[in-house]
Amino acid sequence: MADIRLRSIEKMYGETAALCGIDLDIRDGEFLTLVGPSGCGKSTLLRIIAGLEEQTRGEVEIDGKSVNKIRASKRDLAMVFQSYALYPHLTVWQNMITPLRLRDLSSLERMPFIGRFVPGQRDKVKSLHTLAGETAHTLKLEQLLHRKPGQLSGGQRQRVALGRAMVRKPRAFLMDEPLSNLDAALRVHMRAELAELHRNLKTTFIYVTHDQAEALTMSDRIAIMIDGEIIQLGTPDEIYKNPRDRRVAEFVGSPKINILSGDVDESGNVSIMGNHTGIRIRKRIKKVHLGIRPEHFRLVNGNGATDSWPFHVTYKENLGSDFYLHGHLNGSKNRIITRAAPDEVGRITIGETVKVRARQGKPMVFCDNDCRIDVMQEAGYGSA
Amino acid sequence: MAARKNFMGYVFTAPAIILMLVILLAPVFIAATLSFTDYSLGNSSFNWVGLENYLKMFSRSTYVKMITASVTYVFIVVPGSIVLGLGAALLIHSLRRFGDIYKTIYFLPVMASLLAMAIVWEFTLHPTIGIINKTLASGCGNFPEIFFSLGWLPFVDGSSSWYSTCCREGFPLWFGDKAYTMATICFIGIWQSFGFNMVLYLAGLTSIPRELYQAAEMDGAVKGWDRFKLVTWPMLGPTTVFVVTISTIRSFQVFDTVEAITRGGPVKSTYVMMYAIYEKAIKHNMVGMGSAIVVVFLAFVLLLTFTQRYLVERRVHYS
Repeated sequence: MADIRLRSIEKMYGETAALCGIDLDIRDGEFLTLVGPSGCGKSTLLRIIAGLEEQTRGEVEIDGKSVNKIRASKRDLAMVFQSYALYPHLTVWQNMITPLRLRDLSSLERMPFIGRFVPGQRDKVKSLHTLAGETAHTLKLEQLLHRKPGQLSGGQRQRVALGRAMVRKPRAFLMDEPLSNLDAALRVHMRAELAELHRNLKTTFIYVTHDQAEALTMSDRIAIMIDGEIIQLGTPDEIYKNPRDRRVAEFVGSPKINILSGDVDESGNVSIMGNHTGIRIRKRIKKVHLGIRPEHFRLVNGNGATDSWPFHVTYKENLGSDFYLHGHLNGSKNRIITRAAPDEVGRITIGETVKVRARQGKPMVFCDNDCRIDVMQEAGYGSA
Repeated sequence: MAARKNFMGYVFTAPAIILMLVILLAPVFIAATLSFTDYSLGNSSFNWVGLENYLKMFSRSTYVKMITASVTYVFIVVPGSIVLGLGAALLIHSLRRFGDIYKTIYFLPVMASLLAMAIVWEFTLHPTIGIINKTLASGCGNFPEIFFSLGWLPFVDGSSSWYSTCCREGFPLWFGDKAYTMATICFIGIWQSFGFNMVLYLAGLTSIPRELYQAAEMDGAVKGWDRFKLVTWPMLGPTTVFVVTISTIRSFQVFDTVEAITRGGPVKSTYVMMYAIYEKAIKHNMVGMGSAIVVVFLAFVLLLTFTQRYLVERRVHYS
C-alpha cells in the first residue's frame, strides 16, 4: 500500500538522455501502466523506482518519503521480471519462501542445523510457511510446489514469479513486461488473471509493457512514454479516444490509426485530396494530418452519396467477427485500413472501388509536429 | 540393397574408427596387457606373472607411499586452487577496469612451463642462498620475529613459536625436510593452477543472468554472502563440477615439479604416481610394473570422470 511520486527524474547514459524529466504521481492501489515502444525508457524508469538503477537527477518518493538513498532491498517493493528470474536450483516452494526467509530470519537463524537452536526460530519459520502456503493457494500452485522451475511451463513459471513477489505483501508491485514470454492465448488469459489479482490485493501495481492491448485492458491509468518522456497520462478510455499527440494516437489502437494529410483553406476548412471533410479549425496553417481509426469509417451504399470518398480495396482481412478492408483513397499512396461488419463486406471484391466516409466527430486533427489541433466545428455533414 | 548401404557406411566410418582404435584404445589395451607381465624394454620375450605387479603395489610400502603421496597432493591442491581461483574470479569480476590486467597476471603461471618455473622455485626456496630463507633470517631478532612469533599476545610464549624456533635452529630445508616437502610441492601446484580455475570461473560468472542478482536484491538479499549463497554458488555448479574434475585429473598427473626438484624424495614423501611410472618404466626399465601403475592411474581418472558424469552433473544442471 503506497503512493509513489516521481519528481523530474532524469537518467543519462553518458551523453545520451534515457529519461528527461519524468513527473508522475502514482496513487495508492492504482494499476498504472507505462507503455511505449522499445527503447523509450519505460523499463529504466521502473528500475529506478525499484532502486536497481540510480537516476541522474530527481526524486523518488514512496509514501511521501524520499527513497533516493535507500537500496532496492529496503524499499519493500516486489518485482516480476520478464525472464521471471526464478532461482533454478530451488523448488517452487523454496523460491516462494526465499524472500520471507531473507526478510524475517536473521542470518544466524537461516543457518542449517544451528538455526534451529535459536530461540523463537521455529515459530517464525512456521508463520513463514503459513504465509507462503496461503500465496500458493491463491495462485493455485499447490500441485507444483516440489518441482523446479525447469520443469514448469511458461505460464506456471509466470505464476511462481508472481507468487514470489506476493508472499512478502510488498508496498507495490513492479512488473517488467511479465507476459511477453507467453504465447498469445495464455497472455490474454493472464491479463484477466492479473487484473483480478490487482482487484483482490488492492496494492499499487506499476506495469511496464510495449503491448498497448495489455495497457488498455488492465490499467486504471496509462502513461504513454516515447523517447524518455511521458507524452500523455490518462485512463485507457481517454488515451484511446482523446490522444493529445499524434504519436499516442498511432501507438494505441490496433490496427493502427489511419493518418491522412489534409489541406486547410483560408477559412479553416480541412479537405483531403480535394474531398471535403466538413472539419474546420481555427489555427491558421496550411497543412494538417487527419487521424481516423479503422472503426470510424463507414461504408456508404450506392453511388449517389456526394459526401463520401472513393476507396479502392486492395485486400480483405477476415477476422471472423469483423472484416478489415485495406486500400487507398482516391488512388493515393497511403494505405488505409477500415473496419466493416461481415454482412456489409460480402459483396465487395478486391480491386473494387467503394465509398466510405468518416463518422461525425471522430477524425482527429494533428499538426506537422505531432500536436493535436482542436476541431472548431463540424458542419452538419455525414450525420451517421 | 540395404546391406550394401550398410556396408558402405562402415567403409566411410572406417578411417575414423581405425584411428581411434590404433591411437587411443590400443595403447591402453597394451599397457593393461603388459601390466600382467615382467616385460622390460629390449627383451625379446616376457613371462606372464598374473596379478603379481598389482599385489606388490598394494603390499609394498613404496607403492603405498606412492598412493598416499598422490592422494595427499590431490586433496591439498584441488581445494586450494579452487578456492583461490574462485576468489580471484569473484574479485576480478567485480572490477570495472583493470580486470584484463589482473586476468593476465594470474594466468601467467599457467602459461609458463612448469619445469622452468620449478627451477625458479628451487632457487627461491634454496635453504642457504634462497631469497625466502634469507628474508626470513634477516627478520630474526627484529620486528618481524617479535611480531610473527606472537609473543606480544598475552599467555603466548613467543620463544616456542615457529619463527623463533627456526631463528635458533635454522630455517627449513623446503625440499629436504620430510615435514615440509609435500607442502612446498603442493604450494607450487596451487600457485601454478589456480589461474586456470580462475579463467573457468570467470566464464561461469559472466553467464549468470544479471536479473537473478536483481531478483535476489528485490527479495532482500542485502549481504554479499546471501547473494553468493542464493545465486552465485548454485549457478556456478556446472562450472565447479568441471573445475573439480579437471583439477583432480591434472593434480594426479603432477610430474614436472617432482622430477625437477625432489625426485620423489625425501623418504618417498613426494613419490607421486606419474613420477613412479616414469621411474619404474623408464629409469628402472620395469615396463610391467610401470604399466600396472598406469592402469591404476587410469582407474582413478575414469572413476572420477564417471562420478562427475553420472552423480554430480545431474544435480547441477537445473533444467
